[in-house]
Amino acid sequence: MQNDLALLTNGPLVSANELRRELGWELKPEGLCREDVCVLVPDRASLEADGKIDAVAVAALLDRPALVDEVTGVVAIGAQRSIRKRAIDDLQAPDFVLPDLDGTPHALSDHRSKKRLLVAFSSW
Amino acid sequence: MQDELADHNFQVIAVAIDEDVEAVRGFMEGITYPVLMDVDHVLTELYAISNVPSVVMIDENDTIVQPNWNAYATDTFKDYTGIDSGEQLDVIRQWVINDTPMMSADEAKTAVGDLSADEELARLHFRIANHLRGQGDNDGAARNFDRAAEHAPHDWTIRRAMMPLRGGDPFGDEFFALAAEYAEAGRPFHGVAARSRK
Repeated sequence: MQNDLALLTNGPLVSANELRRELGWELKPEGLCREDVCVLVPDRASLEADGKIDAVAVAALLDRPALVDEVTGVVAIGAQRSIRKRAIDDLQAPDFVLPDLDGTPHALSDHRSKKRLLVAFSSW
Repeated sequence: MQDELADHNFQVIAVAIDEDVEAVRGFMEGITYPVLMDVDHVLTELYAISNVPSVVMIDENDTIVQPNWNAYATDTFKDYTGIDSGEQLDVIRQWVINDTPMMSADEAKTAVGDLSADEELARLHFRIANHLRGQGDNDGAARNFDRAAEHAPHDWTIRRAMMPLRGGDPFGDEFFALAAEYAEAGRPFHGVAARSRK
């Protein structure tokens, strides 16, 4: 389990390896792929520049929000909107993984087959 | 609640929409269920959460039976909010023990409005701001916090969450100013507001 979220610190152009590591998707001959799902790429040239892949263009194709801080080149890419849509419209709980106070990761799906009360809170 | 209902195949998972591990640890003395840190506000994006506390009830089949509900598991803030947590705990018990949720599936499917494009951008700016803050780039952080606030002026997970990260006081004048702005805007909330007795 990996959250559908990326922060790139060096601009939107990434290598194939970085794309896989940061966005969880791979550019293959059949399209953009993750596990056994592939998304067709209508215009492959629009994704590639200087031998690299434009992560913001990839995000657009995957319907993920993306933002570049022009001053620092830091890029934030959010989750596929369909994940939140399925939560709101179809009541399918999105899975996520987050560290506990000691840094140990926990996923919602670790407790599958239980009734779960998710409590979002804060110290602010 | 976790101890009381543990025999009913029930698990509490607390998620702090927060970056301050030590402050959260202070809240959580003696707690046995998982307490998770969501520094990047993953949850507020995936579940369209705009304020805390928000609780979500999820059944054995990963179906949300109660989306974003502004429920308090404590009476700590009762004097301020007028919200009685006892009634809310009863709702949770009813679901866990008797399988009777508060809302029908049809009601639940219309209970939460999607995030706007602005609210999505606010979350991205917030993440970048937090990252730059960690890098010691205070100007870059301020620039992105400002943009986040512009994009989502009534989202508490943006506006109030950034207060301590910018040296402000989330329980001081800034908080009351934001509360007034929020009331003026008609209290926009992505989910089911708590019932206040005030």
